[in-house]
Amino acid sequence: MFGRSIVSIAAAVPFACLVLSALYALPLLHVAANRIVVGSPVYASGVLEIGIHLAAVLSVVATGLLAWTQTRVAALAALTLAIAAFGLLVLVLASGASDLVAGRPPATRAGLATGAWLALLLLAAGIGLALRRTRVPGLGPAIFVLMFGSLVLAGRAGAFEGLSLAVEYRARRETVIEATLQHLVLSGGAVALALLCAIALSLWRRGQGIVEILVGGVQVIPAIALFGGLVALTSGLLRAVPSLREFGLSPLGPGPALVGIGAYLLLPLWRGIATALRSTEPAIIDAATAMGLTPAQVLARVRLPLGAPILIGALRVAVVQSLGLATLGALVGAGGLGQIVFDGMAQFAPDLILLGAIPIVALSLAAERALGSAEVLARRRWRA
Amino acid sequence: MSPARALRPALGVGSTGLVLAAVSHPDVASWIVTMLGEAPRRGLGVARLLELTQHHLVLAGTGLALIAFLGVGVGILATRDFAGPARGAIDGFAAAAQAVPPVVVVALALPVLGFGGPPTLLALVAYGIMPVLRGTISGIEAVSSEARDAATAIGLTRGQVLRQVELPLAGPAILDALRTGLILAIATAAVGALAGASTLGTPIVAGLQNQNILPMLQGATATAALAFLCDAALLAAAALFRR
Repeated sequence: MFGRSIVSIAAAVPFACLVLSALYALPLLHVAANRIVVGSPVYASGVLEIGIHLAAVLSVVATGLLAWTQTRVAALAALTLAIAAFGLLVLVLASGASDLVAGRPPATRAGLATGAWLALLLLAAGIGLALRRTRVPGLGPAIFVLMFGSLVLAGRAGAFEGLSLAVEYRARRETVIEATLQHLVLSGGAVALALLCAIALSLWRRGQGIVEILVGGVQVIPAIALFGGLVALTSGLLRAVPSLREFGLSPLGPGPALVGIGAYLLLPLWRGIATALRSTEPAIIDAATAMGLTPAQVLARVRLPLGAPILIGALRVAVVQSLGLATLGALVGAGGLGQIVFDGMAQFAPDLILLGAIPIVALSLAAERALGSAEVLARRRWRA
Repeated sequence: MSPARALRPALGVGSTGLVLAAVSHPDVASWIVTMLGEAPRRGLGVARLLELTQHHLVLAGTGLALIAFLGVGVGILATRDFAGPARGAIDGFAAAAQAVPPVVVVALALPVLGFGGPPTLLALVAYGIMPVLRGTISGIEAVSSEARDAATAIGLTRGQVLRQVELPLAGPAILDALRTGLILAIATAAVGALAGASTLGTPIVAGLQNQNILPMLQGATATAALAFLCDAALLAAAALFRR
């Protein structure tokens, strides 16, 4: 126990130092004449100083509480403090940005700088750790909804008007929403396609050895190479059989992207199906057969429900991979959030990159959490 | 197991790599593009391909070295007795890191680190470290407590237990994780072309932008060939290690 608390303190001191140096040693905001040029940094002394001090004190106290004891009460107190620090920091930074752009030409942009991002990330990690310590079921999603809701409400109320990211979002709202939908359709379609293929592949009993080599081999090919190769092949195929164009197939577009993304999802899905079906103990299957169930009934009522946690786990891996790979789809003209990221890279506009990157990361994290909880629930349901 | 048999998977992967490498040769690739009904134009010469391959290998190799050093190192630390409380945090962090695709890391690092190698290297390390870390941890944890107890009972110190018992027994798992890391390193180095790094991804990106199939095909097959050949090398190493 004593050794443990030494480790916690040994981890807490560098953590607190990181938060403090992010707040005081790194730039919190930067101001630029327009959205492309590199801005000049603004440090803590240039923003609402008292607010930053208060956020720093709150985070240090929260870290100390987490390091000191492992009790639930301390974790709840630390959680409250860390959330307060996060909210305070966001508000201080947003109002600081508004002050910076006030009275300047309209093209002036004030954005969050490295210090602000680092501090917010560290605080988010701290909130996550405190949440885990509280061990209150359902508190995580509740806190998430609360924080996200407050951010949206504050945004609606115009609290972030000064931040360049909000300005960029307002200018491209339609594009972002449309790209998000495209991204979801693309990755969802790829998962559905791969699922169908994986089921078909698992039905081919004799060829499992070949399937393993093929499905594993695809993983070795870098995604960008597979996409490039697929575009080359599709355009060749369309030259050979021009009538395929009538089915809406084109060398650049969602077609090659769907196939390319789906190819990578085959391995987790196929392996998941195989493991899930094998996971039922032979004795249980014998018992079910002895009760007079047909093989199809055994599959539907015994083997699939018992393998459900593994199947959902495989689906979780596939969905997260699919959301990430769909980013590269923009490269072959399939659109999606990757398009915004690549536009931002081409224009060297950091805010535009973030505008595409934040929804991608948020979607992946949400899918990971949601399917992860479903996996746990399924495990509890069928093991109980 | 005879060495020839143990090396069989490596041979299969390696010959796939060789076939792909042959396809990326300008003459073969031009012929294929002609067969596909397109006039081949502005392909890459052998010298340029080799130059890009060399850049690609240097970038991916540096990344893999960093990944191996950090991943195995942190993995060993995380499995020591004193790191118990940190395990939950490591798992949570690993899950979060996997949610950020390499392209996005490259894109986010671009404004901070500039064009070329550095953002690519950062993405490579950020994305590749987690599989190696997880593989190392699960490999060491899979070592049976009997083996560990026996080693302690015959008087081995903690350091000796780690070097002479835990690491050799976890070796195959760590090598497997390093293979995943290697494949990620080669793939991410190719994606780095989007940030202006000069790798085998460069002709793919340029070909996609100019709608030019020949360099696209050459870059794609060369990148895939590199991945297969490196994978074969590690598979062979793993086979010899297990023997």
